[in-house]
Amino acid sequence: MRASVRRVIAKQHMTKNETPITMTSFPRLGVPGAFTQPYYPPHGPIARSIFVPDEIINQHIRFPTLTANIRSRRGSKVCINLPVFYDEKTPNPFKDPTVQYDLSDYPEDGDVRNGAAKDGHVYMDAMGFGMGSCCLQITFQAKNISEARTLYDQLCPLGPIMLALSAASPIFKGYLTDIDCRWNIISGAVDDRTEEERGLKPLNENKYVIPKSRYDSVSTYISQDPGYRPEYNDVDIHQNLPLKQKLLDGGMDEPLAKHFAHLFIRDPLVIFSESINNYSVENNDNFENIQSTNWQHMRFKPPPSAEDAIGWRVEFRSMEVQLTDFENAAFSIFIVLLTRTILSYGLNFYIPISKVTENMETAHRRDAVLSEKFYFRKQVFPPRYANRSGKSSNASPGGSTSNTPKPVELGPVEDEYCLMTVNEIMNGQAGQDGFPGLITLIESYLNSVNVDVETRCELARYLDLIRKRSNGTWETAATWIRNFVHSHPDYEKDSCVNATVNYDLVKAAETLGNGEGKGTNLWKGLFEKR
Amino acid sequence: MSPPSLVVFRTGNIIITGRTSLEKSNQELLNSLRQNFEDAASRATSEQSSWIEVKGDTFYAPGIEEPDGLSEERSEYDITVKLFYLPGVFVSKRRDHTREALQNVFRELRVSSIDLLIISFPNISFDAEDHSPDTEPTQEEVDEWAETYQTLETLQLEGQIKRIGLSEFGVARLLKLLPRTSIKPSVDQINVRDCCVVPKPLIQFAREQRIELLTHNDCTNILPSSALQGLLQENHLAFGGFKNVDPQWVVKYTAVIQDRGVVENKGYFAMAKVDIDRT
Repeated sequence: MRASVRRVIAKQHMTKNETPITMTSFPRLGVPGAFTQPYYPPHGPIARSIFVPDEIINQHIRFPTLTANIRSRRGSKVCINLPVFYDEKTPNPFKDPTVQYDLSDYPEDGDVRNGAAKDGHVYMDAMGFGMGSCCLQITFQAKNISEARTLYDQLCPLGPIMLALSAASPIFKGYLTDIDCRWNIISGAVDDRTEEERGLKPLNENKYVIPKSRYDSVSTYISQDPGYRPEYNDVDIHQNLPLKQKLLDGGMDEPLAKHFAHLFIRDPLVIFSESINNYSVENNDNFENIQSTNWQHMRFKPPPSAEDAIGWRVEFRSMEVQLTDFENAAFSIFIVLLTRTILSYGLNFYIPISKVTENMETAHRRDAVLSEKFYFRKQVFPPRYANRSGKSSNASPGGSTSNTPKPVELGPVEDEYCLMTVNEIMNGQAGQDGFPGLITLIESYLNSVNVDVETRCELARYLDLIRKRSNGTWETAATWIRNFVHSHPDYEKDSCVNATVNYDLVKAAETLGNGEGKGTNLWKGLFEKR
Repeated sequence: MSPPSLVVFRTGNIIITGRTSLEKSNQELLNSLRQNFEDAASRATSEQSSWIEVKGDTFYAPGIEEPDGLSEERSEYDITVKLFYLPGVFVSKRRDHTREALQNVFRELRVSSIDLLIISFPNISFDAEDHSPDTEPTQEEVDEWAETYQTLETLQLEGQIKRIGLSEFGVARLLKLLPRTSIKPSVDQINVRDCCVVPKPLIQFAREQRIELLTHNDCTNILPSSALQGLLQENHLAFGGFKNVDPQWVVKYTAVIQDRGVVENKGYFAMAKVDIDRT
């Protein structure tokens, strides 16, 4: 491996002491003292954060406005508490020592005096902690709206599984935490719900109690496939009902109208005056404004405009960015191949949406990839007799339609799924009736299409990475980073990732990102058995 | 009138039927035939074997229903057909067998041509060490291949197939066959457990000859007589009178929507000689 062309080009535009790295989160973002160069003091008027300076916010007017509007709509700073990882010498109970309780420059300085920072947790108070996290997100073109809806629903239950498998962010604000993934940090970092909407006060000024942040897991399925059962949408979601009625009156079907009516319970976060003054029905800026500030783990993307050749798309958003281009390619291609396999075999991964939300929480836990179990569907093939379009194919010789096959009896939804490890989901369960495993399904698909030997060899390397990350032969980036910290001579077993450890870790990420480090300790765990 | 002496077995589209697709091709073929027999029987009217149709000298099991064909324009598809010539069948029969096999696929997919026909000769397998003298083909073998290959060249000239493919051909075999061809093969399909160990000389040679090296996961003996007879015995009601069943060829077809890489239709036909016992 060597540095990709993209990294070489990026590097050419940087100064000598800058380098492109692909880490999900910068470990020492928000620590006291300098973590940026040049140094800026925190506690500016926009974010009002105890930890991060306003200067880290992109200077385009959209971003300071987003930050300030989230804070002001919410009525306080955002509030993120991550359970700390207790090591041998970590003070117990842990009280985040970086929190300053005595500031009084802004009304929000009172947040921490009112209990915003929880014991045993690492506390963060700004949008920057979320927006400073990187993800691996993939958008697929679908052939039409109905295929896009199918892919949206079918990839939805895969979101938490791929989050656990791609886990890469165990350190925040200089501390080892007890979680492996960024997702909930971003969720908290853009949570603009008021106290009423969060259910802390009775509704008075607001219309709804809203259970989730605008950055959160998907809450409703949208496809009309024959495999869909109403029981899968088992969460009663809030909807903007007047808007929904307009969509229904305009001819949109119920599931899709419900999806959009759910997105539109949110207020806009930023509106540019031009898009109000020059309002036109042809222009979908105002739609995109709400659509693009609803950050769910799947996104359903209508064509940007009628003239455009771009069609219906679906974005898969849960995965964490990996340290190397090879891994990022492997995860991307795995998802691409999975979509082809889903469409070819007509696979059905539906489980109740509440279980997807539960899986999303599970996926965050430290080493969830090996130690946790996830709800997953047992039987993913469509029932026999159903053909591609879902109508029963019962053309019998002589045109007789007597004796047509009986429709498949549907059992209780609870019997359709069970708890599985990531290894079982990827590599399969033992036994004739066990789940075959996503990798097995993909390989079967590959055996049905013409693939040249070199491509097949490359794909085999990608699938091998997924296989070995799932069964624990190799480590996730999160586990690898933890091991790096634990074995660093300057780590004092107190959960604290100091500047030296951080520097060496980021240098290691640079080496790996440049495709180097083979044969050294850096590869141990990540691409070789430790 | 003498009873039919041939039988064509048909799986129908197996891509959406589930687990059979996860197996080796010999198991996949047997299991999907079994499944298709069951489905046909459950759909059939009261007569026990009404789902087997007779046309001329051939039984069709199950009978040819009106196939769905392909759902989009023909030009959207890449249709690959792989024909397995079986051991113990006269080489002189292959010309007719090839045409029959293709006709069945054409009818099933409602098309008049396919994009790639790959042929698989009996009793040869790919050997990564293909330069050893053991794999040096005999003159007799080469003559057989060349004779069979002519049929493909004719089919290509007639416009029924666009490209010709071989399978399990290493450099030694290619060197012998290529001088005997007038239309070069476009594809050589090899079965390699670990596709990252394809011998360099083959990669090099294929590149020079502009032959695409493709992978597959089929097995050498796709339909042994004993396996087919076993399957028919399971369906005694339908096949009780079938004696001395002797498989002649197997064909596998796949229709892939090119731009999207979606497999829409996949299935098999197998043809066998049969004696009918009327007692």
